[in-house]
Amino acid sequence: MHSQSLQAGQAKEPRGAKKRSQSLSYRVAVFFRFVAAILGGYVFTSVFISLLAVLLPLNKLDSVLLTTTLSVFFYCCVFIWVFAVKSLKVVWITILLTTSLQLFVLALIKGWL
Amino acid sequence: MMELLQFSLCFLAFNCFALAKFNHFRDVFKKKLTEKQRYRFLTIGWITILLSLGLSVMSEGGYGALLFCGYMALSVLMLMILYSFTVSWVKHISAINVSVLVLSGLSVMIF
Amino acid sequence: MKENFFRSMTWLHTWVGLLVCWLLFLIFFAGTLSFFKDEISFWAKPEIHQIRHQDHRVASQAKQINDVFADLQQKAPNSLSWRINMPDSRNPVLSYGYAEPKQPGQRRAPFNYTHIDPNTLEPVPEPRDTKGGGFFYRLHFDLHYIDVFTARILVCLASMFMLVALVTGVVIHKRIFKDMFSFRRNKGSRSWLDAHNVSSVLALPFHIMITYTGIITLIFMLFPYPAETVYEEGLSQMFNEALPVNKRAAPTDEHRPMVAINQVLDQIYTKYPNADISHVFVRNANTASSQIVVYLATAKEVVDNGPRYLFNGVTGQIDAQSGEDWSASAQFYDSMTALHSGRLAEPLLRWLYFLCGVAGCAMIATGCMMWAKRLRERMKPEQSAHRGLKLVETLNLATLMGLPFATCAFFIANRLLPIELAARADKEVLAFFLAWLFIAVLALFGRTQSHWRLAAWLNAVACFSIPLINAFTTEGNWISYLLTQQWALFGIDSAFICAGLMFIVQSRKIPSHDNVKEKGNLFKNRQLKEQQG
Repeated sequence: MHSQSLQAGQAKEPRGAKKRSQSLSYRVAVFFRFVAAILGGYVFTSVFISLLAVLLPLNKLDSVLLTTTLSVFFYCCVFIWVFAVKSLKVVWITILLTTSLQLFVLALIKGWL
Repeated sequence: MMELLQFSLCFLAFNCFALAKFNHFRDVFKKKLTEKQRYRFLTIGWITILLSLGLSVMSEGGYGALLFCGYMALSVLMLMILYSFTVSWVKHISAINVSVLVLSGLSVMIF
Repeated sequence: MKENFFRSMTWLHTWVGLLVCWLLFLIFFAGTLSFFKDEISFWAKPEIHQIRHQDHRVASQAKQINDVFADLQQKAPNSLSWRINMPDSRNPVLSYGYAEPKQPGQRRAPFNYTHIDPNTLEPVPEPRDTKGGGFFYRLHFDLHYIDVFTARILVCLASMFMLVALVTGVVIHKRIFKDMFSFRRNKGSRSWLDAHNVSSVLALPFHIMITYTGIITLIFMLFPYPAETVYEEGLSQMFNEALPVNKRAAPTDEHRPMVAINQVLDQIYTKYPNADISHVFVRNANTASSQIVVYLATAKEVVDNGPRYLFNGVTGQIDAQSGEDWSASAQFYDSMTALHSGRLAEPLLRWLYFLCGVAGCAMIATGCMMWAKRLRERMKPEQSAHRGLKLVETLNLATLMGLPFATCAFFIANRLLPIELAARADKEVLAFFLAWLFIAVLALFGRTQSHWRLAAWLNAVACFSIPLINAFTTEGNWISYLLTQQWALFGIDSAFICAGLMFIVQSRKIPSHDNVKEKGNLFKNRQLKEQQG
C-alpha cells in the first residue's frame, strides 16, 4: 500500500519533465492555457447557457434559474477539458468555433442580426 | 436518541470498512484477516451505512441527508485518529459503539 | 497538457491549488467562523448577555409586534421604511428601527434601531459598536479594503479553481477509500499527504457542495447572461418575477392611515396556526402606497427563503406571496443557497458543518504545506531555495498562522477597546489586520521551524487569553456560562481553549528542521530500495 501511494505522489511533479520545459515557450503555453480555461471557458459557458435558456421548453423563470444554476458545472467541465487536451491549438479552435456557432444560432433566434 | 442511533450506525459501518482492510485488522486482532471475514465485515458495513442513511432521510428528509454527511465526516475523523494513534482502544470503542447502538435503538423503538 | 490524462490532471491539481490556496484558506476560514455568525455577534455584545431566551417565543410574537408597531407609529409615522427583526433561537434580542430621511450625499438612508428585551419589552442598554460575526461573514466573500465587485470576482475565481482542484483531486487519487483511515506519522511530506487525503476524503461531499453552492450564491453576478437574454429588461425583471414580494411601491405623499396590524397577523395565523414570524417590514408607512411584508421562519426544510407575504398597507389584502408552490428549478436554486448558508442548521448540524469547514481549512493548509515540503526534501544540502519556494513558504506561515492570530486579536480588541471610542467597530477590524501584518512580518524574517514554533506559541497565548480577558472584563466567565447554560458563550470560550491546546500540541510536535528532512529522506530511500528490489 505504501509504495502504491508513493508512486501516485511522485507522479504529481514529474521532475525531469519540469526542468526540461522551464523554457519561455513552455511558460507562454501555460499562460495561454490558463487564458483559454478562464476566459475561453467563461465565454463559452455564458453563450452556451444563454442559448440553452432560450431553447429549453420551460417557462422563462425556470429555464433561467436552471441554466444559471448549472452554469458552474459546465464551466468546470470546460476548464478541466482545456487542460486534458494535448494540443493548445485544438483547444482554442474548438472553443472559438463552438462559441461563435452558438452565438450565431442565438442571434438568429433572438433576431439580433 | 434518533440522532444517536443514526450516528452509531454510521460509525459502526465505517469501523467495519476499516476492519475489512488487512493492515488495520492485523493491527487490532494480531492475526490475519480471512477472505470470509473480510466479506462479512463489508456486508455489515454496507447494511449499516444504508440503514443510517435511510433512517436519516426518513425522519428528516433533506435535512437528514445533510446530517448524514456530517455523521460520515465525524466517523471517519474519529476512526482515523483511533486507528493511527490508539489502535489498542479499537476493541473497547467498538464494544461501546455496539452497546450505544443497541440502547439507542431500543429507546427509539420504545418511545 | 502532459503526456497522458492522469499526468495532466495531477499537474492541474497542483497548480490550480497552489495559485489560490492562501485566498481559499481565508475564504474557508472566515466562512467556517460565519456558521456561528449570530453566536459571535452575541458574544461580542456583553451588554445583552443577561437577556434570557423566552419560554413561549412564538406564542408571544403577536403582542410584541403590536407593541412595536405602536411605538413606531409614535416615533416615525412618516418613515419610508420600518424593520422589525424578531428574536429567534440564536438571537434573544428584538430589534426594530426606522429609516431616517436621507441626507444629500448619503448612499443609503441611516437606520435608527432600538433593541428591546422581548421578555420585559424594556429597552436594553445600547450595545457596543462592533461588527461581531458580520465581519467574518463579509470577509468571507467581500474581503476587506478592496472594492466589493473586484473582491467578489476574485472570490468566484478562487472558488472555481477550488472546484477544479476538487474534481481533479478525485480523479488522480485512484485509491480514495484504500487509505482512508491511515495516517503515517513523522514521514516528512508523506505525512502531509496523508493529512491532506484524510481531511479531503472525510468531508468530500461537503467540500464539493460548499464550493459549488458558494459560487451559486454569487451566480447572477458571474453569469447574468441567461436572464439578460430571456428577459427584455434583464435581471431586475427576473428578480421581480421570482420574488414579487420584493417589488417596492413608489413612495407618495398622499396620507392614508394603515390597517391595524392585527388584521394582517390574523390572516397569517389562519394559514399557519403556529407561524414563527422572523421579520416584519413596512414600506412607505402611513401613505397610500404603504406595504407590509411578513417573513416566516424556514423551520427544518432545506430552503433559504421561508414563506413571505406582501400586504397592502391600507386595505390589509395579500398582494403577493413567495416561498410557496415553487417550481422544481426555483426550489433547486433556492436549496443551493440554503445548503451554503446553513442558516437552517440546528446546533447538531451546525457543529457538523463547522467540523467539515475545519476539515476544509485543514485540506487547504496541508495542500500548500505539502508543495513546499516536497521541494525542500528533494533539495540537495548545498542547494539554496529559489525565489518561488521562499515566496510560498512565507505566504504559508503568514496565512496559516496569521489568520488565527488575527482572529484572536479581533476578539481581544472587542473586549479591551474603550466603549466610547469613535468608529470603534472599524478599530476592531484594524486590530485584526494589524495582528495579521505582525505575523506576516515575522514570516518575512524567517520561515524555519523555530519561526513556526514561535507563531504557534503566540497563537496559543492569544487563544487562552480570550476566555481570561472575557472573565475580567465582563460579568460572566467560562464556568458561569456552564452553570447558567449559556451555550453560545460557553461554546465560543471552549472553542478558543481547544484551539489554544491544539496550538500547544502543534508547537511541541514541530521537530527541528534537519530532523524532518533526514527522516523524509530515509523513508524515501527505503521506498526506492523496495521498488528496485
